[in-house]
Parts: sequence; C-alpha cells; structure tokens
Amino acid sequence: MDVGAFATDIGLVTVAGSALGLDRRAAFQVMVSQPIVVVPVLGLLLGNLQVAVWLGAVLQLLWMSSLLVGASVPPNETVASVAIGGMVLMFGRHVQPIDMPVLALAILIGAPLSHVGRWVDVSLDRANLHLADLADEAARAERPALLNRLPLIGLLRTFLATAMIVVPAVLAGLGLLAWLRPLLSGALLRSFEVIAVYFIPALGMAVSLSTVRRRRALLLAAVAFATVWFATWQMEMR
Amino acid sequence: MDAGTPPMRRTVGQLTLVRMLWRSFFFLAATNYERMQNVGFAYCMQPALTRLYEGEALKQAMQRHLQFFNTHPYMANALLGATARLEEQVAEGRLQPEQVQSFKTCMMGPMAAIGDSFFFASLKPFAAALAIAGVLSGEAWAPLVFLLLYNLFHLSLRMYGLWAGYRMGERVFEKLYRIDLVQFSDRSHYLAGLCLGVGAGLLGREAMRSKATLGQGLEPLLFTALVLIFFQCIKRRMSLLGLLYGSCALCVVVILILNAAYPLL
Repeated sequence: MDVGAFATDIGLVTVAGSALGLDRRAAFQVMVSQPIVVVPVLGLLLGNLQVAVWLGAVLQLLWMSSLLVGASVPPNETVASVAIGGMVLMFGRHVQPIDMPVLALAILIGAPLSHVGRWVDVSLDRANLHLADLADEAARAERPALLNRLPLIGLLRTFLATAMIVVPAVLAGLGLLAWLRPLLSGALLRSFEVIAVYFIPALGMAVSLSTVRRRRALLLAAVAFATVWFATWQMEMR
Repeated sequence: MDAGTPPMRRTVGQLTLVRMLWRSFFFLAATNYERMQNVGFAYCMQPALTRLYEGEALKQAMQRHLQFFNTHPYMANALLGATARLEEQVAEGRLQPEQVQSFKTCMMGPMAAIGDSFFFASLKPFAAALAIAGVLSGEAWAPLVFLLLYNLFHLSLRMYGLWAGYRMGERVFEKLYRIDLVQFSDRSHYLAGLCLGVGAGLLGREAMRSKATLGQGLEPLLFTALVLIFFQCIKRRMSLLGLLYGSCALCVVVILILNAAYPLL
C-alpha cells in the first residue's frame, strides 16, 4: 500500500468532509452537507464519482427524515455519510474493487455514527454556553470586536469535532471492511448482495415516503412506481 | 425616549444590510442550549447597531439582542431586517427599546413554523427526491439539481426577507404570510411523492439487473413488499438503526437456511 497516497486520501476526506459538515448547522445551510452532495464530492476527490453518486442517493433516502426542526437535535447524517463514503472510496482505492456487499457492510458499520454525531452536536451546544457568556461580556465592555470572533470559534469547534469523528471512524471502518469482506463467500456473500440491492434501498425508500405528509401524494408515488415498473418490464421482455 | 439615548446619527443603509446578509450565513455558528441563537442574532445586528449607536446606547442595544432567540435560520433574515428598521426608530426616539424585544419574541415562533414546514419538511424532501430519481436514472449531475432547486428558494427568501423586513418593519410577517409558503409546501409533498415513486421503480429495475436477481421479473415485487413492511414499522415509530440491523440479520439468517435446504440458491 502506498502510505503517502493513503495519508493524502484520509486528509482529503477529513478536510472536505469536515468543511462541508459546517454547512449542516454552523454556516450557510446551502445543503452541501446532505449525503447526496457530500458523498459525490468525496467521490470526485477520490476518483470514483459513479459509486459515490449511488451511495449518496441511498444514504439520502435513509436519512431523509433527519430534520433540524425547532430545538430538536436529530441524528447527524453528514458525519455518518462522510465516514461511510470515505471508507468505501478508500477501500476501492487501497484494498480491492468496490462491490455491492462492500457497500452494505460500510453502511452497517457507519450508520451508528449518526448518533455519535448527534451526541457531539448536543455537546457543542453545551460548550457554546461559554460563547453566550463571552457575548454578554463583549456587550458590557462595549467590545464589538470580541462579539465578531464568537461565531468563528463556533465554526472552528464544529470543524474539529467533525474531523475528530471522521478520522478514527474511517480508519477503523476501513480496517473492518478489509477484514470482513474476504470472509464473505457463498450464501453469506449472496445475502449481503441482497441486503445492498433490496433491504437498504427499501428501508431508505420507506423512510423517505414517511416524510410525505399527504395521503394522495403516497397514491401518486404508487402510480409512478407502477408506471416505471411496467415500462421496465416491457423493455426487459423485449 | 430615555434621557440617556443619544440622537440618531444615521440610517442603517444598503451596505450595512449587505454586511448583515453575509453575517446571517453564520447565524447558527454559536447556537447554545440556554439562549439558542442569541449570539448569532447579536452578531448579525452588530453592523446596524454600530451605525446607529455609540457609547452606553450601543452597550444597551447589544445587550437587548443577546436575549433568548430561536427561529428558522432562513426566516431570521426577515426579522433581522425588521429589527434594524425598529432600531432606527429607537435611535430616533420614536420607539421604546422594549418594543423591539417584544416584536422579536412575538415573531420568532410563527416565522420558525413557516420556515420549518416549507424548507425542511417540504422543499428539502422534494428537491432530494428529484435528485435521487435523477441519480437512479443515470444522471451523475443530479445532485446539482438538488442544490440549484433548493437554493433558488433559500437564497431568494434570505435576501428578500432582509430587504423586505427593513423596508416594511413590523409588517413583514403579513407580507411573507401572503406569499403563501404553506400552499407551496402542500404541493411539494405531491411532487416529492411522484419523484419517490419514480425512484422506487428505478431501484426495482436495478434489482432486476443485479446479481441478486430472483428471475421472472419478481424483483420489484420483493422490493415493494419490503418498502411496505418498513413503512408500517416506521409508522409504528421503530428506530432506523433497529430496522436496519434487525432486517439485515433476518436476511442473512433466511438466506443461510434457504441455502442449507436448497444448495442451488
């Protein structure tokens, strides 16, 4: 294994993932932190856009209901997506070609990181209490310059917190993938293909459909599904 | 007007509004548990406050914007613009400072409700579902459609909200309410449903073309059955991780048993 290339890749995943992760709550909120964007960006950087785009779409389906509404702190889909995307893409570059069982394994390994991310978000909100106190001090001392620095401190904290999850998660996940993938063979390999092709996308689709709030919209979804299925079936029969 | 409040020096001005717009992108950077977005609000208001006040009046103005504040980050811009207008009136001595705080307190809830339901619960799922359908039909650039569609609404409303808020002051909520974002969100649920249906069909097609094929075109049937089972489980508030690991473990066990019974599988 080329250690230099490996270190460069983990650096790229960490810096790009953590920088895009700022978009989720700390800055901009232009949605570049969503799985369907962040994973393809990692794919562009690591030279495998095709797999990254598919993976990003499936992860987006899985975490479609993760909404930052009101004061709630939902699971952090960005951290999990960066880790899953990073481990899959690095596996493809440094271990062996990516196949469907690898994608299923990576999602199963990385999914709980969304809850680690949520815990970190809650901790950051607690740590930021100190920033509110500093803001009071800035107002009392008529020091607007101090107030101007506080969001920067918040951004830096968020960036570092994301990076501190991503680096160990990608390294450990990659190690697990490299260990587990060769163990899959025969029926076990087949079952992970089924998980990747049916179970995970179907779960993602169900999660996404649960965000649709109108009953007639679900009916529309059923009609669209039946139409595509019929058209596909016609084409396959030819 | 309080005896200690100095006379107005100048109005907020367009350049200050531009600075407030830029700062509004970091509105949530210092969100905290106790007073939520208070630091973000004060940070965004600071260019306006330093233009309008100095000395003790600036100190008081900064302090009143460090009170509890929590709303939707995009809709906050309308409140920032309106608050800047109200602060001008306070600086002129035409309004009591307490009225600025009560305006913010009254408006943050309704603004949050509109923003959450339109942007996060409606537009985001629709734009994402459209991009997913695009990706599954082989368009690698589909994520860009998601970003363009979402941010067309997002950035427009941020800019419009700030300037409309500044122009209209307290009446900005009526103006935003008249845009009828609620109706837009209603329609976007139908569009999201349509795109998700197409996406589900394309995933069924992928299953037909994969190595894990069942033959006789039955793959979409299995896929549909799984979606329906998972959908019912989610409606019963089962956790995502529980469903993910539970169903995958079940799949492995079933395939191993089937393989033992019918080794040809």
